[in-house]
Parts: sequence; C-alpha cells; structure tokens
Amino acid sequence: MSAAEEDAAVREPLDLIRLALDEKVYVKLRGDREARGRLHAYDQHLNMILGDVEEVITSTETDEETFEEFTKTTKRSVPFLFIRGDAVTLVSPPLRS
Amino acid sequence: MSPSRVVPLTFARGAIEKIAKSRSRRADVKSTRVLDVALFYSYFKTLVGKPVTVELKNDLAIAGTLVSVDQYLNIKLENTRVTDEARYPHMRSVRNCFIRGSVVRYVQLPEAAVDVDILHDATRREARGA
Amino acid sequence: MSAPTLTNMLDARVSVITNDGRHIVGTLRGFDQVTNVILEDCAERVYSSESGVEEAPLGVYMIRGDNVALVGPVDEELDAELDLSETRAPPLKAIKF
Repeated sequence: MSAAEEDAAVREPLDLIRLALDEKVYVKLRGDREARGRLHAYDQHLNMILGDVEEVITSTETDEETFEEFTKTTKRSVPFLFIRGDAVTLVSPPLRS
Repeated sequence: MSPSRVVPLTFARGAIEKIAKSRSRRADVKSTRVLDVALFYSYFKTLVGKPVTVELKNDLAIAGTLVSVDQYLNIKLENTRVTDEARYPHMRSVRNCFIRGSVVRYVQLPEAAVDVDILHDATRREARGA
Repeated sequence: MSAPTLTNMLDARVSVITNDGRHIVGTLRGFDQVTNVILEDCAERVYSSESGVEEAPLGVYMIRGDNVALVGPVDEELDAELDLSETRAPPLKAIKF
C-alpha cells in the first residue's frame, strides 16, 4: 500500500475520525447535549477541539400552571471549544454527497 | 508528600518506555497512548497566561487566566470569575482555583491563540503514531 | 509553568466543591497527587433558594480525590464582606459524568 492509500484506509473506528479532520462533524454528548463544528484536533480518548461550534442543549421542563412537560432547546455559538472525551457518546463525520 | 506516592508513577512510566523501546509494532501502540495524552497537554501548555472559560460537568462555568495544566488536564486558573454569579454565588470569595481534569466538560479557547494548522499537523502526527 | 498542585494553598482557608454538589470551606492541612484533601475546622455551606446560606460545622474531613471537583483559596477579606444570610441560590448540581 502506498503512503496515501495507507492514510485513506479505515481499519479501526478512530480512522473514521481521522478522515474527518478539518471537516464539519456532529458530536453527541452526555447530558442531552449536541455540538456541530469543524474538527481541528482529537486524540483516542475523543478529547477534541472544534471550531465555529454550535451547541444545542435539550432539557425537559414542566409548565408551572398546566404541569405539562415540554422540551426546551438552548443554542449557543462558541468560536473554539475543547471537549473532554469522557462526555462524548457519538461522533458523526460529514455526509458526502 | 510521601515519596512512596511518587515512586510507583515514576516506575510505571519507566517500565512503559522500556517496553516501547524493546518491542516492535504492538509496543508502538502502547507508546502512542503515552504520547497521546501529550497532544492536549502540550496544547494547553501553550495557552498558559491566556484567558479561558472552563465549564464543569455540574454546569458551573468559570472564566479566568490559565496558570498551569498537567497530564491529567487538571487546571489552575487565576483571576477567576464565575460566568453566572447570581445562580452560582459559591465562588465569590475565590479568585484562583485548582480544577480536577475529570470534572471538566468543555474549555472555551481564546480565538487569537488557536492556530488550526498546528492542531491539524499535531493530530495527524499522533494518529500515525509518530 | 509548574504543574498544578495545591501547595500554595497549604494551611490556608480553601473552598472545596465536591462532585455531589457540596461546598465545604476549611483549612487545607494536607493533600496528595490524586487530590485527596484533609480539611480542618471545616464547615459545609448549605445553599437554598428559599433561605440564606447555613453553615454546618464538620470538624476534620478527609475528602477522597475522586470526589473533589474544585479547590480554591478563600480571600478572607472578600469572604468577610459576604452576607451569607442574604445569599439565595439553589444547591449545586452533582457532577454528571
């Protein structure tokens, strides 16, 4: 295998993440959190640094009068975010069209 | 601190390095694991003196100047300010602190101090196990 | 840069936030590499949305490092200015891994 082929090969799950470097990724985290952003760095604990991040937090709240439960989403943008790997549950590379 | 706490760690590191040197491919995987901690540890060291916001896994967010970091990504901050002080008045008389790496969820990084090309190169190098 | 330790806080009053969301203030008498800490003359500051902060004296505590989220020296001047009886806040959440 040439060096280029070697680099493009997917043998283990983390190779998929390697191919997503400098691409937009979707990351699901513990505590009903999701982040979308450009993957700039990662290691095998799935610690990572994302750029132009949009984070979405989903929480369930109860209406004080009707006691009905509803879900609330909070969005925010962060220029550069280090994410500790132990909070990460899923990483999805960009869809290729 | 008693030296008995230091010695086991020193011993373990020495042992891992020895194994990495003496074995071939399988040992290389192990040695990259050791190096691997180093990517973010090294990176955070370059941010010392810069402003960061550390968000903990209890939703507490603390802004401050990064003073130091270690291989567990334990962090020391100074001139700290809790982002939402009304909700979290606990730290009003604390101006610097030690944060255990394991309780960190996010660290917001200063835009000016992030060089994405350096991060890409360092990540590729580590992924190859160099 | 020296590694982050608690050396500079030895024998000082410190605030400790534990993983189960408690806030304990005491004099730091000892610590080790895994952040086990020994606190003397310590008290838990109990927060509530309905009433002021209550201080529950605890004596000497050894808190296991696994359960320590944050340690910071208390600025005694700033602390003396706090009106704890007027401080209202919901209890801290536990650290959720």
